[in-house]
Amino acid sequence: MIARALKRVGITGRTLVTAVPYFWLLLFFLIPFVIVLKISFSDAQISMPPYQPLFAWIDEKVLQVQLNFANYAFLVEDNLYWKAYLNSIFVAGVSTLICLLIGYPMAYAIARTRPSTRNVLLLLVVLPFWTSFLLRVYAWIGILKNNGLLNNALMSLGIIDEPIRMLQTDFAVYVGIVYSYLPFMILPLYANLEKLDLTLLEAAADLGSRPWESFLKVTLPLSVPGIIAGCLLVFIPAVGEFVIPTLLGDPGMLMIGKVLWTEFFNNRDWPVASAVAIALLLFLVIPIMYYQRAQDAESGGGLHR
Amino acid sequence: MATSPRDNQVRFEPWKDPDAQPYVRIERVTKKFGDFVAVDDVTLDIYKKEIFCLLGASGCGKTTLLRMLAGFERPTQGRIFIDGVDVTAMPPYERPVNMMFQSYAIFPHMTVEQNVAFGLKQDRVAKAEITKRVGEMLDMVKLGQFAKRKPHQLSGGQRQRVALARALVKKPKLLLLDEPLAALDKKLREHTQFELINIQETLGVTFIVVTHDQEEAMTLSTRIGLMNHGEIVQVGTPTEIYEYPSSRFVAEFIGSVNMFEGRLTEDEPSYVRIGSDDLEQPIYVDHGVSSAPGATVWAAIRPEKMQMSREQPAGPDNWTAATVQDIAYMGDLSIYLLRLASGKVVRVTQPNAARHADERITWDERVYLSWDPTSPVVVTK
Amino acid sequence: MRQVIGAAAFPLLCALALAGCGGKSGETGSGSTTADAGPVAEEKVLNVYNWSDYVDPAVIEAFTKETGIQVRYDVFDSNEVLETKLLTGNSGYDVVVPSAYFLERQIQAGVFRKLDPAQLPNLKNLDPSLAGRVAAHDPGNEHSVIYMWGTTGIGYDAAKVKSIMPDAPVDSWRLVFDPAVVSKFKDCGVSFLDDPTDMVATMLLWLGKDPNSQSEADLEAASAALLAVRPYIRSIHSSQYIEDLANGEICIAVGYSGDMLQARDRAAEAGKAVDVRYSIPEEGALMWFDTLAIPADAKHPGNAHKFIDYLLRPDVAAANSNFVNYATANAAALDQVNEELRSDTGIYPTPEVKERLQPNLAKSAEFTRSLNRAWTRFTTGN
Repeated sequence: MIARALKRVGITGRTLVTAVPYFWLLLFFLIPFVIVLKISFSDAQISMPPYQPLFAWIDEKVLQVQLNFANYAFLVEDNLYWKAYLNSIFVAGVSTLICLLIGYPMAYAIARTRPSTRNVLLLLVVLPFWTSFLLRVYAWIGILKNNGLLNNALMSLGIIDEPIRMLQTDFAVYVGIVYSYLPFMILPLYANLEKLDLTLLEAAADLGSRPWESFLKVTLPLSVPGIIAGCLLVFIPAVGEFVIPTLLGDPGMLMIGKVLWTEFFNNRDWPVASAVAIALLLFLVIPIMYYQRAQDAESGGGLHR
Repeated sequence: MATSPRDNQVRFEPWKDPDAQPYVRIERVTKKFGDFVAVDDVTLDIYKKEIFCLLGASGCGKTTLLRMLAGFERPTQGRIFIDGVDVTAMPPYERPVNMMFQSYAIFPHMTVEQNVAFGLKQDRVAKAEITKRVGEMLDMVKLGQFAKRKPHQLSGGQRQRVALARALVKKPKLLLLDEPLAALDKKLREHTQFELINIQETLGVTFIVVTHDQEEAMTLSTRIGLMNHGEIVQVGTPTEIYEYPSSRFVAEFIGSVNMFEGRLTEDEPSYVRIGSDDLEQPIYVDHGVSSAPGATVWAAIRPEKMQMSREQPAGPDNWTAATVQDIAYMGDLSIYLLRLASGKVVRVTQPNAARHADERITWDERVYLSWDPTSPVVVTK
Repeated sequence: MRQVIGAAAFPLLCALALAGCGGKSGETGSGSTTADAGPVAEEKVLNVYNWSDYVDPAVIEAFTKETGIQVRYDVFDSNEVLETKLLTGNSGYDVVVPSAYFLERQIQAGVFRKLDPAQLPNLKNLDPSLAGRVAAHDPGNEHSVIYMWGTTGIGYDAAKVKSIMPDAPVDSWRLVFDPAVVSKFKDCGVSFLDDPTDMVATMLLWLGKDPNSQSEADLEAASAALLAVRPYIRSIHSSQYIEDLANGEICIAVGYSGDMLQARDRAAEAGKAVDVRYSIPEEGALMWFDTLAIPADAKHPGNAHKFIDYLLRPDVAAANSNFVNYATANAAALDQVNEELRSDTGIYPTPEVKERLQPNLAKSAEFTRSLNRAWTRFTTGN
């Protein structure tokens, strides 16, 4: 009965099933995004919640909407935000590159081992996730500090006489980010490389390619989707990374996550914090959408010719 | 230009020339994977401009042998020479050999043009030269207008031709083809067979083709190497393989055959007589057979080389009585399954030369089967 | 005042907090909710939100046994987390423990209900002089009761400091604010709190200015002085120094009194020969208070009053102080506080030292922004 009634208004089982992800995105992405966007146009004040309402009824008849763009203007005026954004992007970019350089050979090696060994190796890659992220970052403090595992080991081996300062340096931040996000690089790359048809490499060899040429001309271009997926999975969270620079980094390392924290908690300026978050989102989303469009155009375009 | 391979065979028989140098020499090659022997002590000579088919059921070692020629596998023992050069340890990218893969292995991220140009770029051929040769090759395989397409925009037949063009554009001295027609439908397959032969003759390239399809092997090849369990069981022209199989296996693998087990009752240099429990009369063969007296032998007679009649044939040999058990009408010919007194079922094909069916032998009729003394092939193993 | 880092939770909390705060903006004004929390039939439940490790568990059990009120006890580890929950509204808590600096601005936002003194007979046990100081944050002590208090001073590894500089001015802010002095300890390791208000106010104090000044000129001066010592500061963190002092990673830390005691205990536990000492410099120092308060929308204000009054009992206050190693503001409880703790002048300063302690008052939103901007400039070193 119900099914028939739904069908009459055009709702079938299929539309219901496809509606689930849309509903999910609406509930956990779009609605929070709209709320944050709304707050970003507001003005901070001492109240509960600590910002002015965006909408107000004048004489219960006219709906007054006050959009305050000052928060965004503020981001442009103070070079702090630009510097933080650029530095975050730089740190995330370098980390992503290091992850790629380490993760690609690992993913490649895993994809080329025997299936039984492969499962063990994959398990090892994801094994760290069974421990809390925070604990693992704290463990790095224990390894990198002056009196830590690494320095003590180097000293007892007689390689160095005095501890090298590693904790609270940029080096430690890169170690932390690369360590934490490496699995996100390896897994999509593995999934891609594992699918690679090995006869393509034989074909390349047959046509005169040495192994490294085959890699550059066949394996690498065909793994581009895996590289992009892995890079996005590492780059996006690394840009907003807060915990790792705070725990391992030099306090002087300017990251947008820290700026957001300061705006939200120290300045208690939710509107500016929201503006920082929205701007960050736009910074990340626009290039990705642009890339997606370009991809679609490339793969779809040929069919119309 | 377009001569059929059969015509060709008359003139082109370098293997019979004692002075001819083999172009590819496979010398006592064995390949083991762990305990499994994939190729077992194979020795084979293949001559320039041949289309040599490695024929066999799946798992017989033919693909492994081909991959050793391409350089993807190293022989466990033995050596391989191409044009007099020992290539046994040579990596694939240095061999003057190209391969067309069963899956075609076309690079999906490159256009048709880029795929074909790939090998030339690897050889650092000049750009203008590449453009020219790729263009010619694409025209030859009739893909000129598809040059800019990506592989996923092509049909199966078109992809096959891309693979062929890509392998041929480098002008290899030897082209290896792994089941080149297996992925095509029947009609396209027949058409492509003749195209392949034409291209081979135009370019004068030596082809080594791996196939499991005996018809394909018969049509394409100058010679066939039939493989079983890693060994080459017989090498010969299609006619030799069909008409003079050297063993029961060969006789039964190629086409259909009626096999009669028996014993030599008379063993003379110019003829033999074989007695079989399945037949009422002995088999008389008009040539000598080298076999120990009293040993078990098999006489193989092709279905099309047997005749049926309602009258008992004259003479003491080469006939037996039978009952029609089943008839399959195929249009051009009919297949009869006849039951002998021993219970053995024999297969006979008869061309349907006459249009009217009245006179035809029909179900449950008692008939006499007979054959010429030249028809049986006697094998001892 | 301790700011133990539950850092992983922060970004998430930010997002959730931002996401969950639509509407409900009408309830502004200045904490004038009525204090008519009559003990009408409230269910026997109380939701408490306190700092982690900040109460003797036996106290909670005893309270339940005595009153039959079930205590649901949650913990936080930074004032900011607490503030976000309170400002978002509907926190569901009946008793919370903000530091006075945060309490002050939260009262302005109308977060808290006024306390009913009639329901708090043990209020009389509180040290009036300390209550008077909190009145600077909470006029008339209408919304809060002091739970614990302490100071922001200097913790140091006595042996290491002495070996580097035998006549180190450990009783002066010169130790960390004079570039000539602090530069000597660069390699040994110096840590500052990641707390702009405390650090700038302390700097102003050392510069001889009003620590609660909101003048841009004073802030400028404090910033310049802070930047001058920035090259010698290794870490800027509000809790890591406890661990670092204890295992010798650093030798000087600006931090909270109780934390230094904790660092000393940890070093002792680990069997390390680190002699951590705490000093309240002679130029004076900031004093801080953690206070008990009841959110305006608390469901069980009657139970909350009972709980606060219970915590004000001398024996209970002493038990808590002994357990957490912080100073109680409960004058009547002092006799029952452990001798060792009571005689520690780092925890219970002498009256003369107490005179030099200054409150850290809430600043205007504009000044807070300038302050935090200056602080970011300090941490990044430019």
